[in-house]
Amino acid sequence: MDSLLLSVRLALLVSAILFVLGIPLAYWLAYSRWRAKFLVEAVVALPLILPPTVLGFYVLVAMGSRGPLGKFWQAEFGHTLAFTFTGLVLASVLYSLPFTVQPLVASFENVDRQLLNASAVLGANRLRTFFRVILPLSLPGVITALVLSFAHTIGEFGVVLMVGGNLPGVTRTVSIDIYDHVQSLEYAEASRMALLLLLFSFVVLCIVYGVNRHIGRRLWSPWLTK
Amino acid sequence: MVTMANEMNRPALAARIRKERHNPGHPSFTLDIEFEIPAGFTILFGPSGAGKSTVLDCIAGLLRPDRGHISVDGTILFDDRSRIDLPSHTRSVAYVFQNLALFPHMSVEKNVTYGLVNLPKPQRAAKAREILQAFHIENLASRKPGEISGGERQRVALARSLVTSPKILLLDEPLSALDAELKTSIIADLRAWNSARQIPILYVTHSSEEADALGERTITLDHGKIAQQQ
Repeated sequence: MDSLLLSVRLALLVSAILFVLGIPLAYWLAYSRWRAKFLVEAVVALPLILPPTVLGFYVLVAMGSRGPLGKFWQAEFGHTLAFTFTGLVLASVLYSLPFTVQPLVASFENVDRQLLNASAVLGANRLRTFFRVILPLSLPGVITALVLSFAHTIGEFGVVLMVGGNLPGVTRTVSIDIYDHVQSLEYAEASRMALLLLLFSFVVLCIVYGVNRHIGRRLWSPWLTK
Repeated sequence: MVTMANEMNRPALAARIRKERHNPGHPSFTLDIEFEIPAGFTILFGPSGAGKSTVLDCIAGLLRPDRGHISVDGTILFDDRSRIDLPSHTRSVAYVFQNLALFPHMSVEKNVTYGLVNLPKPQRAAKAREILQAFHIENLASRKPGEISGGERQRVALARSLVTSPKILLLDEPLSALDAELKTSIIADLRAWNSARQIPILYVTHSSEEADALGERTITLDHGKIAQQQ
């Protein structure tokens, strides 16, 4: 149960950080006209296709005592980031970044540009336009981004193993715990936790689709049917 | 320069705009026009692709001209030589788009008060009430745009634009989808509203019947140039 609580704590923290970082990044990706924007898009999407062990390896190297991040952390806090909960949070933020940013970008891009123009000529600056028009109309995307980043972090394995190892109460998340039980031939325990994750994932997806359907209908349908 | 401002000493809108547009897959387009108009209705007439909406977008600050000068009521909105280019939200330009662009998640009242954020709440409510009455839509205040008819939406869009006391009103074929009777009634409300305020209203249409029916000053655009002014 400790591992489950640790996973939930990790996922909540990562989702909150990604929400704060992801919104401005997604806004920039959706509206910037910079020609080399595709480079940033590719970097953000990398964790989608990169094997978690590869990502985990590079993050581990960066966090190690010889890596730039590790050296900085060592100088500031007296220890490296590898095999700590903070290191796990940083790695998970990188790993789940596209799951937050991509739904947000898609939602922001979906908002009718003429609404943004209308907001501007009515005297609203970009910040007000974002909070009064773009964000409310992107609510399904925001919910999807939050739920997906949370669920993806809960279920991550490869990156956690590479960066965090398997320290009970510190870095042993629920997926590592399942792996441990299987290695020890404790199938009953592994099955119980696996079933829990399976149900959790199913409920999360139901929430995403159900909420989006409800909000989408409330926001748009009367508008479209007239 | 041909001046149409005979009612007033200073034109309400003076525009000299040059704008080249290059869209992949389309022939390049150059808008090169110069005109002045007084307060009241002016029809900007021309076929699709003549550059009518580009003119409005440049005046509203949604498009940046390559060269030129735009001033409204003596305030310079854009001038390439003195590098003045006021952002849209500071221009005091009201713009009713062809698709109206009402905020679908807000009630009619919230739409109308959107541009009044700097006013205290009681003043905001009073202004909203006044304009909703002027356009006969006070009974729709709590409805959302998706819950009202096409004609009512046009009235809401006009009310939302005019409540901010703009210096100019730009209308990009907002009434094209309405029947003649409804159109006449909305135009009458608009004229009544403007009779006390006297701001320039630039009304874009590609329909010659509509241009004739409105019977006002007309600027005819063709391929990005002024073909005729009367």
